[in-house]
Amino acid sequence: MTATPAGTASTLVIAPMLVVLVAAAGTLLLGRHPRARTAVSLAGGAGYAIAVAAIDWYIVLGPDAPGIATYQVGDLPAPFGITLVADGLSAFMLTMVAILGIASLVFSTRHLPGGEGRSYYFPLFHFLALGVTGAFLTGDLFNLFVWFEVMLMASYVFVAYSGGPQHTRAAFWYVTLNLLASAVFLLGVGGIYATTGTLNMADLAQRLAEPAAYGLEPVPVVGLLGLLLSVFAIKAGLVPFQFWIPTAYRAAPPQITALLAGATKKVGIYAIIRLSFTIFAGAEVAVDLPLPLVDVAITGDSPLPFVGAALFVMAAGSILLGGIGAVGRDSMEGVFAYSSIGQVGFIAIPVAIATTAAGPELRTFAIIAALVYALNHTLAKGLLFLAVGTVRSATGTSRFADLGGLAKRSPPLALAVFVGSLALVGIPPLSGFFGKFLVFDAAARAGSGPVLVLLLVGSLLTIAYATRLWNRSFWGARTDAVEAATVDPVQVAILVGLAVAIIAVGVGFEPVYEFAETAAEAALDTEGYVDAVDPQTASELAGSNGGGH
Amino acid sequence: MTTVIMRTTARVIVPIILVVAISLFFDGHNLPGGGFIGGVLTTTAFAIVYMGFGLDFLERGILGRDVDPGKEPSRDRVVLAYRRLFAYGFALAVLSGLAPLLFGKPFLTQTFEMLEGVPIYDHLEVASALAFDFGVYCVVVGGLLTILSVVGAE
Repeated sequence: MTATPAGTASTLVIAPMLVVLVAAAGTLLLGRHPRARTAVSLAGGAGYAIAVAAIDWYIVLGPDAPGIATYQVGDLPAPFGITLVADGLSAFMLTMVAILGIASLVFSTRHLPGGEGRSYYFPLFHFLALGVTGAFLTGDLFNLFVWFEVMLMASYVFVAYSGGPQHTRAAFWYVTLNLLASAVFLLGVGGIYATTGTLNMADLAQRLAEPAAYGLEPVPVVGLLGLLLSVFAIKAGLVPFQFWIPTAYRAAPPQITALLAGATKKVGIYAIIRLSFTIFAGAEVAVDLPLPLVDVAITGDSPLPFVGAALFVMAAGSILLGGIGAVGRDSMEGVFAYSSIGQVGFIAIPVAIATTAAGPELRTFAIIAALVYALNHTLAKGLLFLAVGTVRSATGTSRFADLGGLAKRSPPLALAVFVGSLALVGIPPLSGFFGKFLVFDAAARAGSGPVLVLLLVGSLLTIAYATRLWNRSFWGARTDAVEAATVDPVQVAILVGLAVAIIAVGVGFEPVYEFAETAAEAALDTEGYVDAVDPQTASELAGSNGGGH
Repeated sequence: MTTVIMRTTARVIVPIILVVAISLFFDGHNLPGGGFIGGVLTTTAFAIVYMGFGLDFLERGILGRDVDPGKEPSRDRVVLAYRRLFAYGFALAVLSGLAPLLFGKPFLTQTFEMLEGVPIYDHLEVASALAFDFGVYCVVVGGLLTILSVVGAE
């Protein structure tokens, strides 16, 4: 492969991963030189942002962009080698993560939790980013499992990072639950391989669309997809798999929690969208699942209605449990952790609507709604968790009992949190308004009254906990902790930067919507995905390579 | 565990384990084996030495250094060396993956060369995958030994 334009585009696909990998190795080698370590880390972050921006422009959004590009690791052809695929959906997700990742990285250089593990903080940070990036880019189901593990290994350490008893306890639960999830994931992957004979996603989509031509019996795939779905729901923190979130989010350093909520959760959402729509939507399986208790029968000729039914229930549970839970917490990160559960419900509702949508138009629209909401959640929740970090490093606490009067103590900090909270609530002209608006619109177009009521209740709960948080920590009399606080200007600058981004997304919403639309179309374009990867059969390969080895 | 039986057994089996580990490591690129399993086996040999002779034996007995017993275990010079091994191994693996990009090939592309007319062996296969495998080997040995000696000391 020479450096033809096509060659460059395909090398771009792996560029963000290589940048992070080199940054991880560099920070690991420079473990004992804090300044150089920080410099390499920041350079890695900048390189990552540039690589993602290049993918956005040259592969997805630019005038000559092909829309999708693939990369075969190790020069082994698909479906035998590992395929990396960058399309609209991956690019949208990567962009989200890049924005938050930079903010969290710069924040980390200002507020690095101490102790023995300090020299491993940045390598782990880059490994976390590597896992997330790999999960977004991979076109191979087993490889997706591997990236999940990379992501988890890093987050295990971060949850236990501060080293206290409650952190160790949180990490123990987190590790146990995720090991179990990994086992289930592996079981699902193994089952799919046994059923279809391939794990390359494009090849999988191709075979499932014409099971007869490949001599497959695709029915088990529905159940196996259910297994995978439960694993992704654990990552996304959907009810009934939400229980690990509050303890883990409280235990990890706040700037990492921002990433856990903003980036790794989105990996779960991404995996649900990618597998359900791009890969399994075309599967010819007659689904007929009568539910006598609620007098509904789930029927259809693809696994999607089954996915949709499960997602509806999980999303509804998440919105209610997250919202109600958040109202009663006694610390900032407690509120935001429960709020994350609720917000992911808001992202999952449109995904569920898309699975049951009658026409392609509504399906595209619902996915756009989910993506825009996900973007809003990443920016807003990222900002708010970083604000927890700022408040904690300024006052030494984030409990409501010890806070009060922060608004006058640091007006820019208060303003940033105010913008973030309003974005969660969904006030125009912030990004949250469009997120909520599109989700409501999708529900209205689907003509589902109960879903609209549910969304309304969820929004009211959001207003309740956002107001309560504001009253408890930013208004009222100044406490001793707030009086003695020294607020770090760089940290506040990062928060303000994210707040500006939230406003910018809202004000200049047109291009964001177009990007989300490209992403949604890519998610639904199974044919384009298969064509781009172009998985070969063994006999085709033998023919073209003259045997090979 | 530091009994005479343990020590005598260790003297016999540690060299055998290390030789098997090395042979598994060299087979890795096209037969069962490789850097990971070679590294795990090497660590087993070290673990047996630790069990038979105590944690300080490597530094005091073999390297002839003084060991300060009151020191934090993770600050030991041997442990620092393990950590460095981990970091260098990881860097080597990354670099070996990046090298094919210089030749216009995708990340992690591997190749091999047959050396003919080598004494005793007649022909030897030199695989580029060996560099990557050696990186993996260093990561596994460095990582596992760090864990073993730090946790073992606690």
